[in-house]
Amino acid sequence: MPLPELSIEKLEKEVYGSQIWKSMFRNWPWQDSTRHRARHIVDNVWLHLHPAKIQPRALRWTFTWGLGGISFLLFLILTISGVLLMFYYRPTVELAYQDMKDLEFAVSFGIILRNMHRWCAHGMVTIVMLHMIRVFLTGSYKKPREFNWAIGVILLKLTLFLSFTGYLLPWDQLAIWAVTVGTNMAAATPIIGNEGPFASLLGMTISNDVRFVLLGGTTVGANTLLRFYVMHCVAVPLVAAALMIVHFWRIRKDTFSAAPITKDEEKVDVWPNLVVREYIAAAGVTAFVFFVSVYVNAPLEEIANPNVTPNPSKAPWYFVGLQELLVYFDPWIAGVLLPGLIIGGLCAIPYLDTNKKGVGYYSWSERPFANAQFMFGITFWFILILIGNSFRGPNYFWYWPWESWLVHKPVAAPTWSFPLPLGVFSLLAYGGLGMTLPRLITADIAWKKATGAFLGFFALVGLWMHFGGDIAAWRVITVGFLLYLTFLFGFLYPQKYLQDLDMPRYIAVQSLVLMQMGVLVKMGLRLGLDVKYILELPQFNLNI
Amino acid sequence: MAKPVKRKDFLWMGWGALAAIVGGSGAASTRFLVPNILYEPSQKFNAGPAKDFPFGVSTLWFKQQRVWIIRTSEGIYALWARCTHLGCTPNWFIAENRFKCPCHGSNYNPDGDVLAGPAPKPLWRAQVEVVASGDLIIDKAILENRPGVREKAPFFAEYA
Repeated sequence: MPLPELSIEKLEKEVYGSQIWKSMFRNWPWQDSTRHRARHIVDNVWLHLHPAKIQPRALRWTFTWGLGGISFLLFLILTISGVLLMFYYRPTVELAYQDMKDLEFAVSFGIILRNMHRWCAHGMVTIVMLHMIRVFLTGSYKKPREFNWAIGVILLKLTLFLSFTGYLLPWDQLAIWAVTVGTNMAAATPIIGNEGPFASLLGMTISNDVRFVLLGGTTVGANTLLRFYVMHCVAVPLVAAALMIVHFWRIRKDTFSAAPITKDEEKVDVWPNLVVREYIAAAGVTAFVFFVSVYVNAPLEEIANPNVTPNPSKAPWYFVGLQELLVYFDPWIAGVLLPGLIIGGLCAIPYLDTNKKGVGYYSWSERPFANAQFMFGITFWFILILIGNSFRGPNYFWYWPWESWLVHKPVAAPTWSFPLPLGVFSLLAYGGLGMTLPRLITADIAWKKATGAFLGFFALVGLWMHFGGDIAAWRVITVGFLLYLTFLFGFLYPQKYLQDLDMPRYIAVQSLVLMQMGVLVKMGLRLGLDVKYILELPQFNLNI
Repeated sequence: MAKPVKRKDFLWMGWGALAAIVGGSGAASTRFLVPNILYEPSQKFNAGPAKDFPFGVSTLWFKQQRVWIIRTSEGIYALWARCTHLGCTPNWFIAENRFKCPCHGSNYNPDGDVLAGPAPKPLWRAQVEVVASGDLIIDKAILENRPGVREKAPFFAEYA
């Protein structure tokens, strides 16, 4: 008997034309028309995240770099791998670490899943940060997208918080000490933390303050592990997912990735142009994640020991910049005030930036002030990460990357603080002159002349200090370099570009600029001159 | 006949009731998160015969109880090995006569005073007592770090 002839067309007709298929997907028979391409998008609940048509700029790899989509993809991989890991992991002090070992040695493919979860988490932090930089540099946060930028900033913080709650769960030495340090920062919160300024106002003690609620006790223990587990697996992902929906919906309403440059830009079909690119990016990233997870194991330190801290003890890379800041400032400043100002300042950017140019494309010349200040802040943050990661050795002492940690270092030099009147005077002078000088001096200052004058003046001071005051040259150079950056970004840039800004915005922008540069000045004073505090008021736990 | 309720009053009442419920639930949920009973280990322990401790800094109980026991010619005191900066455990370096914290680089001397680094306060001293049997009892729940107070009982046990 001859076999029945196999006809693809007939088969297609039977499958795609069947009632079952048509009840799920409605666009058969497929026609290559604009209408059909649009219906592919709008008839599909998932693809409907996209508009039907889009500006060609949004398709260029070098415009978006696919960063928002890759962040979301990593979140999806994290959700799936996380749910799978939950089947084996038990969040108790006795079992958690053993379950990590089981996942590594006794569970089929357990190690790959754990690696994927860890590396995707690192990747997501990186990509979300890069996404923020991309959105900033293309001016994509400007009207009417201000609020979506703020949601994005919150999503970045939630990404970091998810990482933070996640790394307690292995219950290893990194876990317990990172969370000990992190929650002690919370204890330094003004008013509601027992070690913060004005803690006595509400009668805060070790067993009723914000840290106690976070830990579910007075030290990182069984309650803490359970609380962080619930936050990591349920509470925070739910909040993040809800905000992601808002984030995507708003960008969908605001013409998607590329902010419009003119009203009448020619648009192209999203299907297949954008969908194909997304597919390629997703497939590439997923393959890369698989590859890395098969070959590189996520670190697992020794089991948590609440009495002994590893030496040196370092946070994961994305928090090591914050750890480095904590060396120079009291915990409530470095751990609460500065992060708060960074979040608040980032959220405020779209409302402070009145420059209408540079929307929808990269441009340095049309947005010199905004780009310079933002990229300075980002660079500064990554330099802090580099210092913490590569320049710190045993006892968190300064070791150059090429130095052996076995080298014997002289003991840390004693620190000193400004006397109170000098401290008050210094802060008032910095704030007062910093706020007024850029607006009072209206003359056009040439970059080169200003730089030359500053460096010349400082070279004279440095020579005098070196020979007259007997201070090592490297200390003078350190302080001088950081003061120069302060002069450049804290005075010259605002003096050039903020002359016409309205007064409320000027005050807000210049305050943020001065605080950012103030961090740098304080670092210079500590590294170069061993200054502990500029203003010391221990009776209020208020030291700056 | 009762007066008809005005739209404005009705809305005020409705929103007010909603705010009260949300606020009350929020406050109750926060209170719910504050545990009333803790199952943490006791902070008080018997460190053994006081006479066995050598002069200087002893790390005998460091790994188990997170304290250094320091004996001078006049007596004994115990430093809680918790950095006052952010709570890591410093290490004792006998050659340099200091405690150094591995997390942010704070240094302390055997009195507990800060020599370098970001720590804002001296190390805490725990309550110490040499009981009739000659044993040293240490209670880490009762702490003191103010100069002038920390050198006296119960944070310093006279013992020759």
